[in-house]
Amino acid sequence: MTLETEVEALRKVPLFHGIDETKLRLLAFISDRTEYPEGERLCSQGEEGDCAFIILSGDANVLVQTPEGEKKVAQVSENSIVGEIAILCDVPRTATLVAANNMDVLTVSKDDFLKLLQEFPDISLEVMRTLALRLERTTRDLADARRGSSGG
Amino acid sequence: MEKSLFRFIWKYSSRQQIFILMVTVLTYPVVYFLLELPKLIVNDAVQGDNFPRAVLGFDFDQIPYLVLLCLTFLALVVVSNGLKFYLNVYKGRLGERMLRRLRFELFQRVLRFRLPHFRKVSSGEIIPMITSEVEDVGGYIGEAFALPAYQGGMLIVQLGFIFMQDPLLGLAAISSYPIQGYIIPMLQKKVILLSRKRVKNVRLIADKVGESITGVAEIHANDAAAWHSADLSDRLYENFKIRYEIFNRKFLIKFLNNFMNQLTPFFFYLIGGYLVIQGNLSIGALLAVIAAYKDLAGPWKLLLSFYQMTADVSVKYQTVVENFDPPDIYDTERLTDDDQVELSGDVKFESVSFSGGAAGQEVMDISLTVPANSTCAIVGPDGSGRSEVLQLAAGLVSASSGKVSIGEHDLDKLTDSTLGREIAYVGGAVHVWTGTIRDNLYYGLRHRPLVPPEREGEDLKNYKRRVNEANQTRNPVYDLAADWDDLSAAGVDDEEQLDAKALQLLEAVKLDKDIYRLGLQSRFDPSMNDAFADKILNVRKNLAGRIASEPALGGLVELWHKDRFNASASLADNLFFAVPSDPDITMDEVPDLEEVKSFLADTGFDVKLQQIGLKIAETMLELFSNVSGDSGLLGSYSFINQDDLPEFERIVRIAKSGHQRPGLTEADKSRLTGLAFKLVPARHRLGVMDDSLKDEVVAARKRFLEGVVKNSDGFVAFDPDVYLPPLTIEDNLLFGRARVDRRDARRRIDDVIRAIVEETGLRHPIIYAGFGYHVGVSGSRLSAGQRRRIALVRGLLKNAKITILDDIATGMTDDDKELRSGLRGILAGKTFLFGTSNMDIAGEFEKRFVLDQGRIADKG
Repeated sequence: MTLETEVEALRKVPLFHGIDETKLRLLAFISDRTEYPEGERLCSQGEEGDCAFIILSGDANVLVQTPEGEKKVAQVSENSIVGEIAILCDVPRTATLVAANNMDVLTVSKDDFLKLLQEFPDISLEVMRTLALRLERTTRDLADARRGSSGG
Repeated sequence: MEKSLFRFIWKYSSRQQIFILMVTVLTYPVVYFLLELPKLIVNDAVQGDNFPRAVLGFDFDQIPYLVLLCLTFLALVVVSNGLKFYLNVYKGRLGERMLRRLRFELFQRVLRFRLPHFRKVSSGEIIPMITSEVEDVGGYIGEAFALPAYQGGMLIVQLGFIFMQDPLLGLAAISSYPIQGYIIPMLQKKVILLSRKRVKNVRLIADKVGESITGVAEIHANDAAAWHSADLSDRLYENFKIRYEIFNRKFLIKFLNNFMNQLTPFFFYLIGGYLVIQGNLSIGALLAVIAAYKDLAGPWKLLLSFYQMTADVSVKYQTVVENFDPPDIYDTERLTDDDQVELSGDVKFESVSFSGGAAGQEVMDISLTVPANSTCAIVGPDGSGRSEVLQLAAGLVSASSGKVSIGEHDLDKLTDSTLGREIAYVGGAVHVWTGTIRDNLYYGLRHRPLVPPEREGEDLKNYKRRVNEANQTRNPVYDLAADWDDLSAAGVDDEEQLDAKALQLLEAVKLDKDIYRLGLQSRFDPSMNDAFADKILNVRKNLAGRIASEPALGGLVELWHKDRFNASASLADNLFFAVPSDPDITMDEVPDLEEVKSFLADTGFDVKLQQIGLKIAETMLELFSNVSGDSGLLGSYSFINQDDLPEFERIVRIAKSGHQRPGLTEADKSRLTGLAFKLVPARHRLGVMDDSLKDEVVAARKRFLEGVVKNSDGFVAFDPDVYLPPLTIEDNLLFGRARVDRRDARRRIDDVIRAIVEETGLRHPIIYAGFGYHVGVSGSRLSAGQRRRIALVRGLLKNAKITILDDIATGMTDDDKELRSGLRGILAGKTFLFGTSNMDIAGEFEKRFVLDQGRIADKG
């Protein structure tokens, strides 16, 4: 339960890829380390998101509202980051997260992350680079998909 | 008030002044003999012959005679110094008493000013007048008559001696006096004028400083610091100029005086020398005259400086007193009278006019009648005269023409004792006094001391002395320690009912929730109320039971357990398992407590904690050294604030270097220990606490309990069966910490606590505990809305026959609507005047008067 393990987990998050070690440590330090027992909600679909969850241990079920009630659509587990879009812009949660077993989660709040970005503009650059790469990939995937559908 | 200082002194201390004078005269023979005796000893006892001498019928040989004279000398030394000591103390006491009388008189006069007068004077000017400006007067009063009498007497005696030797020399001795007597007062006059100017300038400076403090937020918000700095600096320069001018004149006077004094011997040598040569004067006589003249200089100098001081102090006195004598000041009876007239009947204005001195603060020819026991709205925007009409109705200001009356009583002829008790007035700008919420709520019931406390022994003696002093200085003898709360006025029989009534009103104005929250955060002394402490302990047990039985709840808190490490609590709490009895001791001060120091040294924890502290400091420096101070990151997350960063940088550097010298000082070590104490392992995941260290901490707890807590009052141990006075009521209820690593644990556990508190009926006692909350300077720790509501409850609690509210609860929200109808319910059967700018709200009242530009525009 130390900063080091949290930094390790943060390093595996693509969004934080390229941010140097000390700043990751700072991010880890100002983030909250939270435990969730089985069955507790991390967030609910539709509510305003204000933090990202980095799962250090345990698993969470991803539930989505359907006319028949909540339905499990996926499971997220160790070292994955969930809800990271919420720390960059105001969007409602697209799904509900419920702890599938006892979880250990690092919560990065939007306010703190934005403060960090203000403080260290080079982090913003890294995040931007990652997002741009992702966008580029998405665009290419989309183009491929279009070409595939028109060709086929 | 006495316009001149001497009239003031003579009027209030003539008897004491005469006494001082008499004792001073008594010292003359003593001093005279004291000066004569050495001559007698040398000439008669040592060099004399024809012994024995007969003294008082006894014969003395030479040696016994010498011893006798020397013993007499010793006795005279004792008597003379004793008299001096007695006289000085007496003068000092007299001065202090007169000063007290003067200051109180000035303060009472401030209370007697009519309200509009306060538009012309500022507190920044009044305060230095009452405090520092009159200070010199006290020191002067004791000397006012005695010094000129004593020194003047000396001067005359010496001059007489010179005249007896030779009238011509006598004339020479006083030849410079007429010149000095003419020039010096002339120069002094200019100095007096300058002193006056200086006093006024300093007052202005005080006023400007005061204003800057009150408006400091405006200064920053408008970047006006430069302007204010220039303004003040300009005033300081003005002060310098005046002071410099004063110095020049003052020392010119001194120069002239010294010059003249030293010029006189010139005449002595010339005239005296001539007379000796001519054979008209013996050389011995000339030398004696010159010696006598030297003795003249002392009293003359003292008289001159006394003259200068008199001028200075008189000016100060006059410049102060003239500000406290406005022509329209209220009679003293307005404050001191204790007769209460019953004010029942209609509130009646008969062609009333009033002017506050500016446009929008005047009312003209108002005639209206509010029937007794009805509700009435006075409607009009700010500047329409609404506030003035309501203040007139409350007797706070007086009509310049016309008559305001209630029943058959003209308000202008009534004193505060009726107006302040029979009428409750709450205006738009309320004032909350520095003190507790209770003090503020019951403020309207504290008119006079009612039940004097029982005193005996030393306490009674002190009290009698206090009353005696008060009588001597015409101060009031009201007993501050008495019970002032007028229970019968509030319509209750005892303190408990009063609290209950206050609570009922707080609920009506919806302030109860706020005070409940303040109550949870407050501390209380269980020795005052055992039953309450027991109830809190019951809730604690109840809560512990629920936490044990409900796992969902149990996961949210870590209760104190003497064998378990509490990861959600600080390392200090964990190590001591106790808290300092004095809640004002901060975590930074704990390492410096004697008992803590020796405990840490004994257990070897001192080194361990310093290492932990060092590690924390290193990590903080690594994480935060590149963070700018204004980002807010440092403040909210770091152990170390911006200002202390360089300090810790130094400490870490020294510790890392490993050199023996300079090494860490004791203060540095304390800082590191303090850092370690603040560590909350579950929040700060710095990896400095491993399991074995946790076990050591838990083990050390027992030694602290045995070694320190049991032997000292400095700490109170965590004990599930004991109420801990240094902790807040909330912490006592929970007896543990909400887990920091569970989301919303604090809020969720608070909800549970609130539910249990409601169930067990503890809500009211907790609100009463909240009454003890200190509101800060002028209520600064309350919000503006809270302050207004407290003032409202204060007014309602007076249970007055007439209640006047101006600009209170005038919103259109449902809350305010409900509050207004609640107020009408509480005040049913009493006269209720309500000032508002909103016509719709006015519709809720039985009667309405609409004001526009100081006249009644409409009524209904």
